[in-house]
Amino acid sequence: MATKPKILLVDDERAITDNLTPFLERSGFIVAVASNGEEALHRVSRFEPDLIVLDVLMPKVDGREMLRRLRHEDNWTPVILLTQVGEATERAMALEEGADDYLNKPFDPHELVARIRAVLRRARPGQRPLASAWRLASGDLTLDRRARRAYRGSKELHLTPKAVALLEYLMIHPDEMLTRDRLLDAVWGWDYPAGTRTVDTRVAELRRVLGDDPDDPRYIDTVHGEGYRFVGQVESMA
Amino acid sequence: MKIRRSWLAAPLPAIVGLVVAGLVAGGQLENHRVYLAGRLIFVAPLVGLLLTGLLAVVMLIQWRAEQSTRRTISRHQAQAAEERRRFLQRLDHELKNPLTAIRAGLANLTWLPSEEARQDVLDSVDAQALRLSRLASDLRKLAELEIRPLESTPVDVGELLYEVVTVARERPEGGQRRLNLSVPQAPWPLPAVEGDQDLLFLAVHNLVDNALKFTAPGDTVEIRAFEDGARLVIEIADTGPGIPEDEIPHVWDELYRGQGAQGVPGSGLGLALVQAVAKRHGGQVSLRSRAGQGTVFTLRLPI
Repeated sequence: MATKPKILLVDDERAITDNLTPFLERSGFIVAVASNGEEALHRVSRFEPDLIVLDVLMPKVDGREMLRRLRHEDNWTPVILLTQVGEATERAMALEEGADDYLNKPFDPHELVARIRAVLRRARPGQRPLASAWRLASGDLTLDRRARRAYRGSKELHLTPKAVALLEYLMIHPDEMLTRDRLLDAVWGWDYPAGTRTVDTRVAELRRVLGDDPDDPRYIDTVHGEGYRFVGQVESMA
Repeated sequence: MKIRRSWLAAPLPAIVGLVVAGLVAGGQLENHRVYLAGRLIFVAPLVGLLLTGLLAVVMLIQWRAEQSTRRTISRHQAQAAEERRRFLQRLDHELKNPLTAIRAGLANLTWLPSEEARQDVLDSVDAQALRLSRLASDLRKLAELEIRPLESTPVDVGELLYEVVTVARERPEGGQRRLNLSVPQAPWPLPAVEGDQDLLFLAVHNLVDNALKFTAPGDTVEIRAFEDGARLVIEIADTGPGIPEDEIPHVWDELYRGQGAQGVPGSGLGLALVQAVAKRHGGQVSLRSRAGQGTVFTLRLPI
């Protein structure tokens, strides 16, 4: 991208926007700030951001409502929601809202920048993101996100709920290196002691059930010393 | 529930009746034909009085039961209020220290002459902010643990303990303690426990982490598991300094830190988390400790 990407930062906490704005600007973005959903919806049409960083708890129109309205108008500007996505119900809700990624408060501002860059890289302007598709496919692997079930061909795979959630996150972030910490934060919603092991155990489960060879992966590749990457081509299914 | 003493009187008339019948059957008493007869003027008030008396007894029992329930409730309420007050006090304490450090650091920033000194301040402020983040994260875990749906899959506890011990051995303290793991193979291997693998890992990890934190180099930490048919029992025992008797009931309280924990890193939420995990799995966790000898934590989970 030749010009600097435009970020709309929406949070009602001045302390947060005051400190994040210069940080994001230094990181190479043009930043506009709104303090609630209503104001943000106005700014979207004039500022035309490339990405919106959206807090959930706000007065007037909250983050969830704003996102719903945006998507209702068929506006697919990528959104990073600042919220908790621990649980299945939360995730389903976030999915219906069509957020592209999530970050739990309190977060490291560097992590936010990394998220913004990753989402922008993935974004297909004007199109629905993978994150808002109910069914995802990669080769003969399909994932039904509503039913929380995965299939190889027509055969259902037996996976623990956590492994399904992990597979889901990997599939909506194809070809992106995801650190173990990032996966813990996004899929588990918690930091666990020795959490990297927790991630490794579930990846091993996924590989076993998917019949994926770590040395020649069709789906999940290990990025040594860093994390994992979903290497299969992912498509959304109607 | 305790059986009320007054209830013991209830079967008394039946016993007397049975004794009389027994005496008749044994021949000690003649089997007389018995009639109950009287004028209406006597019988009607007599029956009325008997019924009123019966009713009064029933109502008295109910009233006393209510009284005792009310007393129990108000005792629990008082206890909960006291616990809440203590929790807020401890929370205040946990927030105060890092915040004081941050404000002191920031106050220094304006006049510190060298870039190096300013960097030291920033590093220290960052460390305190991280400490607060961790506290917030642990508090959220604790709140969420009570409501979040549990993943329920068969968990191989032997494998889980092996993982926890491997992680512990990789830590510097782990290398300085004698860490022993014993998991039975005979007469049969440990049965699986239905539960949330990650949460059970967290619980056992916290117990082992505690054992490492509160022992000295050369101490022994034993991790063992066995089953008694109904429950799977996991014990984490150490030869550390032990926990003073008056502190034992409080170690499960959120943010509680005993005398021995001064200067030991941690949020004071580790054991509260262990207890929450145990409860969510229908199990329990307890401890025995002797000053100067050591401590054993026992986690019991249904199988």
